[in-house]
Amino acid sequence: MSDDVLVLSNVESAYGPIRAIRGVSLKVRRGEISTVLGSNGAGKTTILKTISGIIDPRRGSVHFKGQDITAADPAKIVRLGLCHVPEGREVFPLLSVHDNLLMGAYTRSDRDAVARDIERAYGYFPILKEREKQDAGLLSGGQQQMLAIARALVGAPEMILLDEPSLGLSPKLTREIFEIVVRINRERGTTILLVEQNANMALNAADHGYVLENGRIVMEDRCAVLREKDDVKEFYLGIKDTGVRGERRWKKKKTWR
Amino acid sequence: MPNLWDALELQPNTDTVLAGETLPAVFWSGVAKRGDSVWLREKQLGIWRSWSWNQVALAVREIAHGLMALGFAPGERVSILSNTVVEWVLADLATLSAGGVSSGIYPTDAAAQVQYLCEDSATVLLFVEGDEQLDKALEVRPALPQLRKIVVFDMEGLHDLDDDGVIGLDALRALGRAHMAREPKALDERIAALDPQALAILVYTSGTTGKPKGAMHSHRSLVTAMRGYHHITAQYESDERMCFLPLCHIAERMGGEYFAMYSGSKLNFVENPDTVPENVREIAPTVATAVPRVWEKFYSAVTISVKEASRLQQLAYGWGLSVGMQVADKVLAGEPVPAALKAQFRFARWLVLDNVRKLIGVDKARVCVTGAAPISPDLVRWYLALGVPMLEVWGMTETAGISTYTPANRIRPGCIGIAAPWNEVRIAPGTGEILVRGPNVFMGYLNLPEKTAETIDSEGWLHTGDVGTVDAEGVFRITDRMKDIIITAGGKNITPSEWENELKFSPYVTDAVVIGDKRAFLTVLIMIDQENVEKFAQDHDVPFSNYASLTRAPEVRALIQGEIDKVNQKFARVEQIKKFHLLEAQLTAEDEELTPTMKLKRKLVQQKYAPQIDAMYS
Repeated sequence: MSDDVLVLSNVESAYGPIRAIRGVSLKVRRGEISTVLGSNGAGKTTILKTISGIIDPRRGSVHFKGQDITAADPAKIVRLGLCHVPEGREVFPLLSVHDNLLMGAYTRSDRDAVARDIERAYGYFPILKEREKQDAGLLSGGQQQMLAIARALVGAPEMILLDEPSLGLSPKLTREIFEIVVRINRERGTTILLVEQNANMALNAADHGYVLENGRIVMEDRCAVLREKDDVKEFYLGIKDTGVRGERRWKKKKTWR
Repeated sequence: MPNLWDALELQPNTDTVLAGETLPAVFWSGVAKRGDSVWLREKQLGIWRSWSWNQVALAVREIAHGLMALGFAPGERVSILSNTVVEWVLADLATLSAGGVSSGIYPTDAAAQVQYLCEDSATVLLFVEGDEQLDKALEVRPALPQLRKIVVFDMEGLHDLDDDGVIGLDALRALGRAHMAREPKALDERIAALDPQALAILVYTSGTTGKPKGAMHSHRSLVTAMRGYHHITAQYESDERMCFLPLCHIAERMGGEYFAMYSGSKLNFVENPDTVPENVREIAPTVATAVPRVWEKFYSAVTISVKEASRLQQLAYGWGLSVGMQVADKVLAGEPVPAALKAQFRFARWLVLDNVRKLIGVDKARVCVTGAAPISPDLVRWYLALGVPMLEVWGMTETAGISTYTPANRIRPGCIGIAAPWNEVRIAPGTGEILVRGPNVFMGYLNLPEKTAETIDSEGWLHTGDVGTVDAEGVFRITDRMKDIIITAGGKNITPSEWENELKFSPYVTDAVVIGDKRAFLTVLIMIDQENVEKFAQDHDVPFSNYASLTRAPEVRALIQGEIDKVNQKFARVEQIKKFHLLEAQLTAEDEELTPTMKLKRKLVQQKYAPQIDAMYS
């Protein structure tokens, strides 16, 4: 088997008549953080939902660890070791922090190992340990995001799909979360597919990046290379030359090279 | 809508519609004649707005007076750097009315190019479309001491700009109104003083090598050609046309702006170059003039949607088109169309062909004209099968557009038709080069007397650089550009454009450059059609991420190989294209490889991709 843990080929997904992704092929290598950048409505979240079995694609295939998981049952996909941290955290607000984490272990039966994993998750996010007994709905946004990630970790995943962890968070908190995400990747060896609007953060954290526009990938490369591309700089990092007048309103044509 | 077999409506019309020997004189007599009827339309915030002749006249008058208020003298040069918008036409007519010379600059040109064109033409006033083009102009302004003012059509985002050298079009019109109050006769005097022999416009030829050359046209040559256009395919005030090609190019300048000014047909401006397919359906032009690339695009859009259609729809399309082809064959052969076939064709139109025409937007077209580049004969036949008379014209910047044309009753796909009545066309003995002589031939290249002397010989014949043949009926056929003809190592003469046109007929190929001069066999550089090839890849489960990976996919290479094989079959008698290379970068009009009309520059591409070409031969 190759290094590619996750392989998408020509995946097309739609919401009714609206095709959100129009043929996406991408690969995530074992132990790496890959990121998909894109603006609102580009189809980033749809890719993740298609991978984790929440949406069934119209065409194309998804392979995880060499196994075809196209349109498979989401619970089966979790059992295979692929956990999804959804956009907007989606914690269970009326359950305690601890119970939320137990929900992450829903598919597991090895209680001792689960207890160990919960402790390890607390190790990454000490604040959750402090608030273990509180309802998750009472946590701040950042803490809820931490909880969502911790819940995924309790599923003992080989790979995590991370959907916009920076959503609604302060820059400082975003940085903290990203640091922990990188730590999880380095320490646990967890492969991560990260979807982000905060391109700057994502490009610094990830190894490999894809740029998604209108449901199609327009560019892919190592993140260090992507950061230097003119179109990425201008349209995703907000670095542009301001022209002779010192201000520029008009947009260049994207060429993606 | 008439059918192909009764092309009576396209009979020549030799009436003089408007008097006047200079462009402004013709324009102002048009205003006097047509007053409140509509001439131009543009889309503002999603709604079509019209400009009557009187409104255009008022704007032109104010702008022209504004130019005079800025000290603009007769004979001085103005450049226009903008997409095809109504203001382009206003600025052009105002400049000409004020006795000036106007020159267009492609909006896709880079700042350095803008500088060169302004310097070469000695531009004193520069019209720009908006902030994007203004930034280019400001970048090179320090190097243009003779440039006195930059006029901006659209001041959006620029209201805080504090710069003495820049003025908005509205402010210029206000200046013009003040000037008009002081000197109400000034403009009419300038128009009256215009000499028909004087320089009117500069058209820079895109120049595949070296710097662009400024072709000089006098009022006389333009007015001659403009009147002539009307004689060969008349247009009327009831005609709707679409204005979308760059106005700096002679095709839209003459065939669009000036011809519509003369005939009174309505000019509908597209929103921007990307919205042409939608706009053409809204406008539903009755007369459509476009370059082959546009016709190819329409054709491939239809081909692709037929592939997606149901089996029944595909059968209906296939049958309808075959009936259309039979009709076209009869008409082309000059034979009468039998009544039964006519009936079948009417049914085919009702069943499918009219829908195809609607899908493209040519459902109301009386006539379509193609020119400015070679077109595949198969493509012409396809349009004829739809019942659209597709007439090929040939000409160049230096001949003020049309020089030979196809009369509607003598369509011959692959031929460029007969000499237009206002000029002589002949084949040079020996070289086979096509020569043109007549009042429409240009005055020469600005600042390049040697080049001019090379191009126009002592007897007044323009050496066009195209090689061709003529038959007993006077119908011309182009073989190729003289300098493009390939002589292979085996000594065979090959005309690359023949191959390239066949290749471009494929929906998967946007442009191609055939190579093989002094080489053992032929190869080709191909630019794929991104949209259609992406669709192919998606339909056949070919994984790809970006454009480059698309060009590298083995299935895509096999697809293109298949297209080349098809073309090779047609040329079985001569050499074959043995290898190909797909350009991996997605090119835009801003790139040096493409002309502003999106054609690959043969010389430049051959140099730039020399390693890839050599690899094909190693």
